[in-house]
Amino acid sequence: MKKFIKYIISILIITILSLYVCDAIYTQVYTSVTPRNKLQYIINTNNEKFDIIFLGSSRVTNHIDTELFDRLSNKKTLNLGVEGAGLNDNLLQLKLLITNNNKISNLFLQVDTNFENENPSNISISEAMPFLRNDVVQNHLSNHFENFNYLKYIPFYRYAINDPKIGFREFFFSLINKKSRINPAIGFTPLDEGFISTNFHSLPKSIANKNNALNHIINICNTSNINLILFISPYCSKIDSDIYIKQLITKIPNLIDLSKGYDDDLFFNCTHLNSRGAKKFTKNLHKATINKVLN
Amino acid sequence: MLFNSFDFAIFLPVVFILYWLLTNKNLKLQNSLIVLASYLFYGWWDWRFLSLMLFSTVIDFSIGIALSKQENKINRKLLLWLSLLINLGILGFFKYANFFIDNFKTAFSFFGNQINSNSFDIILPVGISFYTFQTLSYTIDVYNQKLEPTKNFIAFSAFVSFFPQLVAGPIERATHLLPQIYKKRNFNTDNAINGIHLILWGLFKKIVIADSCAIYANEIFSSYENMNSLSLLLGAIYFAFQIYGDFSGYSDIAIGTSKLFGVDLMTNFKFPYFSRDIAEFWRRWHISLSTWFRDYLYIPLGGSKGSKLLSFRNIFIIFLVSGFWHGANWTFIIWGGLNALYFLPIFISNRNRNNLNIVAQGKIFPNIRELISMSITFILVIIGWIFFRAKSLSIAIEYIQKLLSFNFEKGIQYLSIERYSIELMILIVCFVIFEWNSREHEHPFFGKWRYLKLIMVILGLITLGVYSSIADFIYFQF
Repeated sequence: MKKFIKYIISILIITILSLYVCDAIYTQVYTSVTPRNKLQYIINTNNEKFDIIFLGSSRVTNHIDTELFDRLSNKKTLNLGVEGAGLNDNLLQLKLLITNNNKISNLFLQVDTNFENENPSNISISEAMPFLRNDVVQNHLSNHFENFNYLKYIPFYRYAINDPKIGFREFFFSLINKKSRINPAIGFTPLDEGFISTNFHSLPKSIANKNNALNHIINICNTSNINLILFISPYCSKIDSDIYIKQLITKIPNLIDLSKGYDDDLFFNCTHLNSRGAKKFTKNLHKATINKVLN
Repeated sequence: MLFNSFDFAIFLPVVFILYWLLTNKNLKLQNSLIVLASYLFYGWWDWRFLSLMLFSTVIDFSIGIALSKQENKINRKLLLWLSLLINLGILGFFKYANFFIDNFKTAFSFFGNQINSNSFDIILPVGISFYTFQTLSYTIDVYNQKLEPTKNFIAFSAFVSFFPQLVAGPIERATHLLPQIYKKRNFNTDNAINGIHLILWGLFKKIVIADSCAIYANEIFSSYENMNSLSLLLGAIYFAFQIYGDFSGYSDIAIGTSKLFGVDLMTNFKFPYFSRDIAEFWRRWHISLSTWFRDYLYIPLGGSKGSKLLSFRNIFIIFLVSGFWHGANWTFIIWGGLNALYFLPIFISNRNRNNLNIVAQGKIFPNIRELISMSITFILVIIGWIFFRAKSLSIAIEYIQKLLSFNFEKGIQYLSIERYSIELMILIVCFVIFEWNSREHEHPFFGKWRYLKLIMVILGLITLGVYSSIADFIYFQF
């Protein structure tokens, strides 16, 4: 039995040591390589001046042609929309941008059904994990994750449970400095042609009373002198958005509604425009906000 | 309780410590602890179904005793039939009731008659197919006087419910497991270390190989309409490794766990993808089920002793029943039938016992002939897996049609799960090399590099494992 116990202890020691070593190597790589995602890009961006920043989900990433908006407005524009991100994630992005002494003149924020959710999603869960020692990230996430202490103190746990996003594959690509599909310094990812049809459905019939993350963003913009512009991205004809958007506009009167006026052949699927649709939307958004953007 | 869960990581050491420290001196205590732990292990999933297992245990224990007291042949046969009816009746109700209702409805509607009957809302108790077959083997062996019936209810309960193999096998024989339960187990260090190695290797197969393959295979099978032939071929290969990693991984963990308690379970997998023909494949895949059907169905039906025609019938029966055992769906039955068709030419030409040893025994590489025959067998097996994996027969046929259209446009397709297949192919090739290297052993941890291999597997488990979604073992659904 003694021999067995010794053997088990040695395996446990090897396992625990491996966990610590892997955690340290992964963290070192993710925090020091050329950014492959937008959160890494934000954390590595200091003392910059941006005329326009877009925040939102994939309905920003795939919809705002950064270079086109830049050309039309003649202003330095950056698309920081992230697939799956909610308002809470956008709040974290904004906090990090400001903490790093970046100067933002105008912030375009996509608001639609993401108003219903106050919890962190995609970015916070995975892309923020290597930066748990960053004070802003730590303060932001500790309020939302029940397992925050596990994430912080159990070695490699944060990488293991987020393996699709920051597992070995992403680690390896970061290590060899493989170029990301999305260039975080531009941020626009156009989608292919081809409308994927879905059944007719509607957005929620009722609306949340408030969204604390959005209120927090509004407060930050007010105190940091950032001109905040809120807008809705388009939906295809098979989505009944009328009731929800009407309620949303009642709650946010200055919300710019561009949810309609796009043929289905401009969509990749019902909530995402294709590249032609994205160009049209970028132009329309520029036109709709031409008098609202500050210099 | 899943083997790859945090709960089990706590449960196993606690039971292990209690077993060797508290109940070490007494056989009755050892067996009682096994029963208690096994019922806790099973009840963790759904305590309501404990009564079903207890019922099955009581029935077969009582019938075993009744058989020992009964010398009249007719009465003995009646007792055997009673056990078969009760056990297979319970299994049939929980597993096949809806299948028969749906098929009756379809058959009647074909003749213009509509039957208004609703399907039952039935939960399939985990492991029911496994422990039912295990208890049946006991009653049949007692009936055939190959085994003395036990009068020790605790020992019998431990045999039925032994937690390492309770929910997905190996399906143990009473003749093999009960004698081990009758004797007090003593701790054997080498056996226990071997058990730990098997658990680690089983976890690697499940968490690294099977769960990684599952992500890709699920994506390809769920959107097969949009996939080219290359992706469909890869999807079938991924599923082949998913099911192998999943089920043989489970078996390794079960056998390894059992070794920690001083009990040896039968080997369930012997590197089946290195088989040179389909007969060899079935001697190496889910061995405990194949041999169960051989001993309790094929041989009683006459086996290969009668005319060729009778032998063909028997072969088809065991393959079709084996398919049906896996699930109440025509896809499983066709899968069984397809394997019978593969098997027949080998059987007719008397080549079904040609390849009894492991391929290229004592050599590093196989020869060209072995390589070709292994490749052909693997291709046949993956065609079968397409039926096994598809949700319906029409999907399986469409999948194969698209696969055989040889449309390689777009090459390796990017999957919406943000993965390229090439990455997984590298992992699978490494795994196959690892398995090939250890094909004459129980697990890869042998020889002078064993500690290095152990560290590699631990590192692989940490960095390559899929932990974002803890997946059930596939065979739990059977």
